[in-house]
Amino acid sequence: MGYVVLIPLLPAIAFAALAPLPRSVRNRALGVAVAAVATSLALSVAAFLAVTTEAGHGADVAYHASVVFAHAGSAELGFGLLVDPVSAVMLLVVTVVGLGVQVYSLGYMHRDERRGWYFAVLSLFTAAMLTLVLADNFLQLYLAWEIMGLCSYLLIGFWHEQEAPRRASIKAFLTTRVGDAGFAVGLLIMYATTGSFAYDTVLGGLAWAPGAATAVALLFLFGAMGKSAQFPLHVWLPDAMAGPTPASALIHAATMVAAGVYLVARALPIFEASGVALTVTLVVGSVTALLGGLLAAVQHDIKKVLAYSTISQLGYMFMALGVGGFAAGMFHLVTHAFFKSLLFLGAGVIIHAAHTQDMREMGGLARHLPVTTGTFTIGALALAGIAPLSGFFSKDEILTVLLHEHQYVAFGVAIAAAFVTALYVARLWFRVFTGPVQSEGLREGHAEMLAPMVVLAAITVALGFASPAFGEFVAHHGEWPAPLMALTSTGVAVGGLLLGWFIFGRRSRVLNTRVIKQRTGPLYDVLVQKYYLDLTYDYFIVQPYARLASGLWRFDAGVIDGVVNGAGALWRQVARLGALVDARAIDGVVNGVGTAVRSAGDRVRRIQVGRVQVYQGLMAGALLLLMTWVIVKGA
Amino acid sequence: MLLSAIVFLPLIGAAVVAMLPASRANGARWLAALVAAADLVLATVLVVRFDVGAGFQFVEMAEWVGQVGIGYHLGADGISVSMVFLSALLTFLAIVASWRIEKRPGAFFALLLLLEVGMNGVFLALDFVLFYVFWELVLVPMYFLIGTWGGPRREYAALKFFLYTLFGSVFMLVGIVALYLHPAGGTFDLLVLAEAGLPASFQWWVFAAFFLGFAVKVPVFPLHTWLPDAHVEAPTAASVLLAGVLLKMGTYGFIRIAMPILPDAFAAWQPALAALAAISIVYGAALAFAQTDLKKLVAYSSVSHMGFAMLGIAAGTAEGIAGSVAVMFSHGVVTGMLFLLVGMVYERTHTRMIADVSGLSARVPVAAGLLAFASFASLGLPGLSGFVGEFLSLLGAWGSTMWPGWVVIAAVGVLLAAAYMLWMVQRVVLGVPSTAVEGIDDLSGRELFALVPLAVLTLVVGVWWDSLLRFVDPAARALAAVVGGG
Repeated sequence: MGYVVLIPLLPAIAFAALAPLPRSVRNRALGVAVAAVATSLALSVAAFLAVTTEAGHGADVAYHASVVFAHAGSAELGFGLLVDPVSAVMLLVVTVVGLGVQVYSLGYMHRDERRGWYFAVLSLFTAAMLTLVLADNFLQLYLAWEIMGLCSYLLIGFWHEQEAPRRASIKAFLTTRVGDAGFAVGLLIMYATTGSFAYDTVLGGLAWAPGAATAVALLFLFGAMGKSAQFPLHVWLPDAMAGPTPASALIHAATMVAAGVYLVARALPIFEASGVALTVTLVVGSVTALLGGLLAAVQHDIKKVLAYSTISQLGYMFMALGVGGFAAGMFHLVTHAFFKSLLFLGAGVIIHAAHTQDMREMGGLARHLPVTTGTFTIGALALAGIAPLSGFFSKDEILTVLLHEHQYVAFGVAIAAAFVTALYVARLWFRVFTGPVQSEGLREGHAEMLAPMVVLAAITVALGFASPAFGEFVAHHGEWPAPLMALTSTGVAVGGLLLGWFIFGRRSRVLNTRVIKQRTGPLYDVLVQKYYLDLTYDYFIVQPYARLASGLWRFDAGVIDGVVNGAGALWRQVARLGALVDARAIDGVVNGVGTAVRSAGDRVRRIQVGRVQVYQGLMAGALLLLMTWVIVKGA
Repeated sequence: MLLSAIVFLPLIGAAVVAMLPASRANGARWLAALVAAADLVLATVLVVRFDVGAGFQFVEMAEWVGQVGIGYHLGADGISVSMVFLSALLTFLAIVASWRIEKRPGAFFALLLLLEVGMNGVFLALDFVLFYVFWELVLVPMYFLIGTWGGPRREYAALKFFLYTLFGSVFMLVGIVALYLHPAGGTFDLLVLAEAGLPASFQWWVFAAFFLGFAVKVPVFPLHTWLPDAHVEAPTAASVLLAGVLLKMGTYGFIRIAMPILPDAFAAWQPALAALAAISIVYGAALAFAQTDLKKLVAYSSVSHMGFAMLGIAAGTAEGIAGSVAVMFSHGVVTGMLFLLVGMVYERTHTRMIADVSGLSARVPVAAGLLAFASFASLGLPGLSGFVGEFLSLLGAWGSTMWPGWVVIAAVGVLLAAAYMLWMVQRVVLGVPSTAVEGIDDLSGRELFALVPLAVLTLVVGVWWDSLLRFVDPAARALAAVVGGG
């Protein structure tokens, strides 16, 4: 299975080949990027099949190879490729969505003058995500994680001539890096505790002390909260929508933001050794699932609705992991990756057609964009959790595992969040697809844009039925949803959709926003202001740091450098005084002291001229004194 | 003879270049470049022929001033090798990058070569007096480079640089003599002194003297204020070598001299070193964030990065020391790139003010791309060289006896580095082109020739850490064993 190395390598080569080319050549070589990820997909399928065969023989790891790339002290840092059920599934997710997005982008970006660079960065991103998925140790995971941060930065700020993408890109990089700093310290503690980063060592059979496990797990969680946009580090993700829409689909919905979930899932044994860390994960996920969903319900920008929805759905995954529901969390990650990228790609067509992202300026698109409407509706219903689409199955698994672990509060939160999800899905759907048409020249997307959407929609329809098989595959345990649970969750989802139809489907929309505002009062403001988090961070962190920095600069120039300059000035004064005394002395004593004094005076006077050699002589004098002192003192 | 050749070939070159008549400016250029290239070839030979596992090699030993036991003693371990290669490479590239200097080119290039003599000598000397001679030798050409070819405040900056460093090195000389006069010392040979077993109380005082000498050079907070002035006024080539190589002499001094000769004092000083390192990291990063001048930003970022080198040293563990050397190497390469690029931008726009330069990527995509590349390397992006040393320093520091709080503060410094670097990239590289950027040309072939090797090195070391660590790690382990860091 040596071909596994090609899976991340091919997109990396595509990046390396495209990046140095001149723009005009690069723009005509997009096929390189598409071909690379397509080949990676084919190889991933092969790897997946190999794992299924192995799994039949009772072995989990189908392929494992590694090389050491760094020796330092007792540290041997390795770069590995590990193909087991989880990574095999993730390989498929990343390459399928990655290929879909690249094909789609051929249509979506075909007029952009820097499309070559865009495809290059998409390739680098894909390579990094595949490297992360295949990692056999946490350091490699971290390295790939950071490279993805770079790609995210580059794609969010792709249209950097405008202010908003520029700001959003730096915000995304720094916010996620706050989490990364925690992750990094977690790695330091892991190494100090276990002497290794390798999964084999730190996950397999190692008895973690609860204290160390808690520290490492919580710091990893902190990193995951940055990358996977969990409350309160989620603030970068909605702004990240300033990037090209297909990039949002790939990075900020389907794959990179899932990296945090993947990290926690991989490190789950450490979380379980801690216990506390599991609870914290559950709380973070619960809070995010509900609060993110509420925010999605008040956004007018279609991409921001989807962004907050992503935050909320990622919260679900953390909830599952927080009760040790490895299979449930991973399955939701997989289904969400497909249906959310489908929704984003559909949103791209909608935005192109309507020439706006504001849903208040949309309406009646169903008649003009049949394919988009059909596929988008499938994605939307999957998000809402309507049976038998994939989102229903994965959400159902999460609810089941929460109940099974007796986490009734979290279960209640999950039900509430499911209701809110269905509500904002209905709000979005009715606003965009029904009502009066508000734009002219509505056109369906290019074939290369629609084809990936159709494929993703088909996966969204079919994937749910793999639910028990998935559980069996990654965790040796899978079953169909229990009828009562299925009825409950579907009932909640239908209820949310109905309420959404009641509010947004029947009456005039503009009026409605105003009415809702009046009825809910300050609560609505809190949501519109995104819980005032951005303002809080700006006021209590960003601005104080900027003030501190310029204050320190004044301190540096005034005090620290002032001491240096002051010492220099003082010395000049001493020298001048010396010269003065010298002159007086020579005046006063006509015949006496003679030439020795005069030469000494000359020497001092020359200091004023600032000649370097003289200073050196002076230093030599000081040196003698000091030397004597040190020797006397030390010996 | 290899090491002597590496050290003194540039001296011969400098003498010949200096003696060329002013009318032969072009000859001076080519000759200087050839000599520097030949020296780089010799340094490469050293790298290739060096046996990574075998301690000091290519040792040359001769009596120099026999009566007092001053010897001519050269030798290279893995740390020396990496530093000498850096010095030879940056000198060559600095000469290439200064090709079009118009003011007295002969003298300029002769001084650059003279500087290389001192730098190479410091990294290869194993006799204390020899070390000191090379150490001081570096001051003179740098003083004239800043003072003659510098910006408007060049005289102030040059004198400040000279006096500040001299202030430090005077204390170092005190330490050297004290070691010699001590009954257990009595030699100037560094390797012999390392075996001397000096009493701890004596070590403490000598360490204090060495600390002043080395810390000024690094520079460690609060002894850093000469650095921004020197950088801002210095011509590009001098900035490159100042940040790229001269600062490393300070950390190299700790590694080669203070730690092995004074291990007990090192243990006593470790908390102070760790604290100053962590403070330098965040302090330099905060000040870099506040700068309006590109060169000052890079200068303060150097204070921050050299803090990581100090952190690894303070750790005293093998990982930490290897990380420290990796920071030194990477900072030399990456900051070299940054100063070259800032100089190239300045030559075209005649301004270094961040507020005046924006939208480079739209007008000069190659220069902008390399500037962004160097910035990401500088902020420690994995896959590029900056991350290697920072990570290993942190790793070594966490595993050491120092207070973990300093390590956490240093980790925050990584975040702050991203803040000032991206804030710069956002304003300078991205956005809509400003008037100063209108109509400027992208990099010439010669400029690319100076930058591309550094970019390649950044990538190679960043991806394959052992390409650098295989030289550094054995020496770091040996040193860690001496200071008890394991």
